Amino acid sequence: MDLRHLLFILALICANDSLSASDDLLQRPQISKCRSPEMETFSCFWTAGNAYNLTVPRILQLLYKKSNEEDWKECPDYITSGQNSCYFNASYTSVWTPYCVQLASKNEIHDKKCFSVDEIVLPDPPVHLNWTLLNTSQTGIHGDIQVRWDPPPTADVRKGWITLEYELQYKEVNETKWKELKPRLSTVAPLYSLKTARDYEIRIRSRQRTSEKFGEFSEILYVSFSQLGIGCDHCTEEVEFPWFLVVVFGVCGLAVTVISIMLSKQPRLKMLIFPPVPVPKIKGIDPDLLKKGKLDEVNSILACHDIYKTQLYSDDLWVEFIELDIEDPDEKNRASDTDRLLSEDDLKSHNCLGAKDDDSGRASCCEPDIPETDFSASDTCDATSDSDQFKKAAEKEEDLLCLDRQDNDESLPSLANTDPQGRHRNTQSENSLLWAPFGDSLESPRPSVHTQMSNQNSLTSTDFYAQVSDITPAGRVVLSPGQKSKLGRAQREGCTEQNFAVDNTYFCEADVKKCIAVTSHEENEPRVQEQGYNEDGYFTTESLTTTVANFGASTAAAPSSETPVADYTSIHIVQSPQGLVLNATALPLPDKEFNVSCGYVSTDQLNKIMP
Amino acid sequence: METGLLLVTLLVSHMLLTKEGVTSMPICPNGSVNCQLTLEELFDRAVKLATYIHFLSSEIFNEFEERYAQGRGFIAKAVNSCHTASLTTPEDKEQAQQIHHEDLLNLILGVLRSWNDPLVHLASEVQRIKEAPETILWKAVEIEEQNKRLLEGMEKIVGRVQSGEVENEIYTPWDGLPSLQLADEDSRLFAFYNLLHCLRRDSHKIDNYLKVLKCRLIHDNNC
Repeated sequence: MDLRHLLFILALICANDSLSASDDLLQRPQISKCRSPEMETFSCFWTAGNAYNLTVPRILQLLYKKSNEEDWKECPDYITSGQNSCYFNASYTSVWTPYCVQLASKNEIHDKKCFSVDEIVLPDPPVHLNWTLLNTSQTGIHGDIQVRWDPPPTADVRKGWITLEYELQYKEVNETKWKELKPRLSTVAPLYSLKTARDYEIRIRSRQRTSEKFGEFSEILYVSFSQLGIGCDHCTEEVEFPWFLVVVFGVCGLAVTVISIMLSKQPRLKMLIFPPVPVPKIKGIDPDLLKKGKLDEVNSILACHDIYKTQLYSDDLWVEFIELDIEDPDEKNRASDTDRLLSEDDLKSHNCLGAKDDDSGRASCCEPDIPETDFSASDTCDATSDSDQFKKAAEKEEDLLCLDRQDNDESLPSLANTDPQGRHRNTQSENSLLWAPFGDSLESPRPSVHTQMSNQNSLTSTDFYAQVSDITPAGRVVLSPGQKSKLGRAQREGCTEQNFAVDNTYFCEADVKKCIAVTSHEENEPRVQEQGYNEDGYFTTESLTTTVANFGASTAAAPSSETPVADYTSIHIVQSPQGLVLNATALPLPDKEFNVSCGYVSTDQLNKIMP
Repeated sequence: METGLLLVTLLVSHMLLTKEGVTSMPICPNGSVNCQLTLEELFDRAVKLATYIHFLSSEIFNEFEERYAQGRGFIAKAVNSCHTASLTTPEDKEQAQQIHHEDLLNLILGVLRSWNDPLVHLASEVQRIKEAPETILWKAVEIEEQNKRLLEGMEKIVGRVQSGEVENEIYTPWDGLPSLQLADEDSRLFAFYNLLHCLRRDSHKIDNYLKVLKCRLIHDNNC
């Protein structure tokens, strides 16, 4: 009894479920799609849905209305397109006119759709597919075919009313995924490299040219090479190229080669395969030093670079070469310049090292031992006897070479090129910093002044050297009194001033004191002619003039210090550590402006100036 | 000797270069103005341009619809009338085949001319739509340019084909500019939607008519 009860309850539940399920599945009638195959007619299709009442069939109507009409009209043809469809023939079709259709029954509207015919074009599938063999490969394993078809018969392509695009798909018979070709306008398509041993299936569909949706697929075309007797059933399967093995072995071999090259001891081979990447390098400067070195060292190196081949500074008591730091007054006041000058450490640090060109940046200097009268031999690291240019270090420590004559007998701020080491015998040194901060407004030319190199042993005994006793904060050099008379005499010497028009913009204001030291070569007693004038220790661009020592033609009278000095003198010998011997040639005055940036003349410009 | 050779070379090259034949231009019969291209070539180009314009119009409409029309119920108001509705263009194949080709050409010209103004404003006003995608902006400008080119080409074709005098110019003015500048964003976007919808439709018409004409005049109904 219990079992029967149980079964009855179960049956009831099931019935209940089924009934309720059918209620959930009730669907309204709706228009599924409207379609025009050729842009001349169109049809609409709908689904009837679940009738509420299975006994009374619902009567559905399709009403349509053109946009420029008022009334809803009923579908003209329910039959032609099949059940639940409405067919509009050509007379009812206006292509670019908006239509609205609605599905209604009695008073109830179930669904509505609005469209225009040009938007619903879905062409019929192409017909008459066939294929022909183009050629086969030499081995007979592969073959090319050409597939042809006709456009759907309903579409009037001949009169250009509709333009169709076709897409071909193919696959091997036992494959699942279709391969596609790009849509094309023509009704032929080649298929290349099909395997003759396999059979293929081809299908094509079309769409209107500017539409997105494709129509239905055509019937499938079967391609079988064996029909033509070409199929190579007995052919061995072509061995595929062992790509995997090739890649693996190739990679291994390459790795082995690379490793062996890198480990090989042969630098040449290594260089050939892995050439060293050049790092930016300035000759004579060690980049590490630039990174880590102290400022002074860097200074010296930069100053030395390519210019000074001699060590101009020495430990000499006699300060022959004074560097004034004229960056700003504060700086000057900071440390006693005398201390700086006379302190050997400082001097050493400013040693302008004659650089052997070994890129170390701190080349040991050139041989200090240079015979006094030996100008020809140059032990200098690089016998740059013709190197004429002096570049000033970017630190703006400049060598003031000028003795300011006009300064009311004040100490001349000029710097003598001094070689702190003083080992030089010959007296040369120059400094030559050609600075030409010149403004257009030139002051009255100042007479050139000879300054003299101090000779460590005979400073007081010669006319060519002056001992600098002090440097004022203003930047003036105070020479020891004993030399003043000599200086006075020296002033008459030919340090003619030369004014060079210079672009003011290139000069650091008040930073430049420029002098050109020129020594007479033939005397073997090079004199440093320095000019400069610095009233306050600063130059403004407008107030700067250069004084150029002019060598006269007659250099024989050098000792008399009245020999006119050439504006520029090329360096004959660079001797370390004493200085430079300059040629006594008269140089053409430069006409061009100096472009000096922050106090030094570029090599190129100097090159132009100097022969 | 060498200079002489050089001189001769220069002379010869000069002669060759100034000859018309080098430029491979067909020789024009006397009196013709636009004789460089055959009618077939002109039609080919016109059809290509028209197809391109229709392609761009479809794309711009689809992009606009996707970006701005969703959820705004624009589709429900699809019953719109375009400003070119007053031009009685063929609405089906029968009419297109029956209309005289000169009339059809003039109609095409009329439609193109009527779109000149709206396209200019479309290109400028679409830039004012908030965050308009670059593709839409670019397409609007491109359509406007290509339309001008197509108009020029059609005028050339009409000049060649027309036997009689030129009829009165067919042209419909467009007064939709204020609607593109409405303050209310919804209304403004709807105006754009309508305009782009009309553009797509009219460009499709032009494309079709030109193909029909080409097949009729050039290929004798056997494309």
